[in-house]
Amino acid sequence: MYGWTGRCLRVNLTKNDFQLEEISQELMNKFLGGRGLGVKILYDEIDPTVDSLSPDNKLIFVSGPLVGTGAVTGASCNVITKSALSGTIACAKLRGHFGAELKYSGLDMIIVEGKAEFPVILSIMDDKIVIQPALEYWGRTTSETENMFKNSLSDKWAACDTYLLSIGSAGEKLVPLANVINDGFLSVGAAGIGAVMGSKNLKAIAVKGNHSVTVADGNRFVQVVTTLINKLNSASLTSQSMSSWGSAFLVGLCNQKGILPFKNFQRSSFEESKQIGTEALSSAFALRSRGCFACPIACIKKTDVNNPIFKGKGMAPTYLAIGALGLNCGITDLTDIGMANMICAEMGLDPIASGGTIATAMEFSEKGLLSKDSIKLDLRFGHGKDLIHALTLIATKKGHAIRIGQGAKAISEEYGHPELFMGVKNIPLAPFDPRAIQGMGLHFATSNYGPHHLYAYTFIDEVLNVHEKLEPWTIEGKPELVKRFQDITAVMDSLGLCNWSLMGLKFNSFVPMINSCLGTSYKAEDLLQTGERIWNLERLFNMRAGFNRSHDILPERFYNEHIADGPAKGQISKANEMLDDYYGFRGWDNKGQPSAKILKALELEEIYGEDKN
Amino acid sequence: MARIKIDHTKCTGCRHCEIACSLNHVAGVANPRRARIRVFREGTTYFPTIAGPFVDAACTSKNDLIIGDQTYNMCLICRASCPEKPFFIEAETGIPLKCDFCGIPPSPSCVTWCNSGALELVED
Repeated sequence: MYGWTGRCLRVNLTKNDFQLEEISQELMNKFLGGRGLGVKILYDEIDPTVDSLSPDNKLIFVSGPLVGTGAVTGASCNVITKSALSGTIACAKLRGHFGAELKYSGLDMIIVEGKAEFPVILSIMDDKIVIQPALEYWGRTTSETENMFKNSLSDKWAACDTYLLSIGSAGEKLVPLANVINDGFLSVGAAGIGAVMGSKNLKAIAVKGNHSVTVADGNRFVQVVTTLINKLNSASLTSQSMSSWGSAFLVGLCNQKGILPFKNFQRSSFEESKQIGTEALSSAFALRSRGCFACPIACIKKTDVNNPIFKGKGMAPTYLAIGALGLNCGITDLTDIGMANMICAEMGLDPIASGGTIATAMEFSEKGLLSKDSIKLDLRFGHGKDLIHALTLIATKKGHAIRIGQGAKAISEEYGHPELFMGVKNIPLAPFDPRAIQGMGLHFATSNYGPHHLYAYTFIDEVLNVHEKLEPWTIEGKPELVKRFQDITAVMDSLGLCNWSLMGLKFNSFVPMINSCLGTSYKAEDLLQTGERIWNLERLFNMRAGFNRSHDILPERFYNEHIADGPAKGQISKANEMLDDYYGFRGWDNKGQPSAKILKALELEEIYGEDKN
Repeated sequence: MARIKIDHTKCTGCRHCEIACSLNHVAGVANPRRARIRVFREGTTYFPTIAGPFVDAACTSKNDLIIGDQTYNMCLICRASCPEKPFFIEAETGIPLKCDFCGIPPSPSCVTWCNSGALELVED
């Protein structure tokens, strides 16, 4: 067995007990590992209608087979559970070094079940597995938790090789917007997962190990990885733009194309883009790169070097943070956005979900639908202090922020204007205006994980034109493009590769690396079929949880209101028109239910049988 | 004589060099604990450290290194394969490890995979 370690740790917090299990080879061949394996286990083991915050929900941490082998960008570990925010399946992508260290501790997967009686930390240090009480950690920020845990180790050298994943106060207090944080990195797409971890009274997981991960054909693997590093180096996006500014370089580009939302998607152009572009970012933060495990791109930027506010902590805001916490709330001050981003990382909030929630509340108060007295909070577009104040209150569940902390959908319904909620499946939209980028819009409507762009980054072809030259505003070829990207992403997540590498490499160029690493002879089509299998299984989970065609729909604003200004003026979303075509490409019926034929082709027929019963 | 120049201001902490080293010394095995280069983190800075001479006794004095307004523990970034700390010693055998400029010349394998510019081969 190459790449995989083949072992899984099952922890039952109710019984305060754990056991090691073998993972069957058949399962690994069929679902690859990572996200695929996690989804399969969750599908098999929990009832999709279960209450997300009940002890019956499970939390699965799983690293892909390529993680820790040195495969380029092979760092991503997935957290899979039923989301507390959306009620759909949720899959976070952890960056940094946690996933690789999990492999070095001899495990592919940790399944957490039940609920501990009091706060605990799961510590897996050199094969010693301990569920230790963590009362003194409860209420601490994520960086404090990390430092405290490392200082508590008797061997200070062991602390150097220990990596932690933790929740902040938001997760502890079961705020549905909560995220999980590892190694100071906000994880991607984790809205609703922090609360599940909090509901299990699991404050953190610490890993350290000295096992090896083996590679099938070492010499060939080293050659292929060297070639891929060189390719990433010769592509301008991965070698210059991403390396210099991280994803924040997209801010200027999206603004030029009219994709950048402003004030809760009311507008999509923004005149003072100089204030927030790459030059402003460099001068605000004095950027320094930080890389995830085995990543030659190193797109994450630290903020610490010159700016005294951020000394020693925090990451510079990415495109997501600038879009969701900044412009969508009307805020253009980079120091405020950086501060809000840091609060998210320290207190464990998801920037998209909490930014979207606050933006919705801001639109309510701008339109006079929500008086200051009713929520006891000032929430005005463009006021950084309001944002920071609201985030802190949401994360600590204090005062009237309890209501806002329930999410954008909940407030928009509570105050009688559900049409002002800009999101799909209860999760606020990532900061891309779906009217100006049709493929992404269709993905937002249909995604199993809510409207998050990193589960199908069609932006790469629609705007950056890396592999194909497509126009963002047209719909030709988009349903097919969305399906392909969704499948590719499912495969890459399952293997443990990061999506950003697609900015410099074609999916096909990963195939020799995958095969030499795992000792397999996959072709690109085989892998894409596996991706499709995973996507369909997730879809089946969501359908059993009560989601169907009526949830594959964007907010009314995107169908009814044309973009009022800017370069994409007059555009409107055509996601509804494309939906039937998309279902057709997927082999689903017009209700969005996967057909028996496609499930058979994907070797999921036994599940279809279950579904019928 | 060729040397590896280390610029810690450029290091991103991705640890690709560790895996390059490990894969080059034992074919098909990726394990940072077997690597002869390790990236240590102290505060907010990463220090790639290449395994150096084996010593059979630990130093009798400890030093701190002050760069700017930060103080670093010299032991952490010391390259000796030293009994005081568990790095650069193969866990199973206890054999001390030392850099041997592995890989396809001219560049050692860690330099080949380092993409940040932190590791660079220079000729005297």
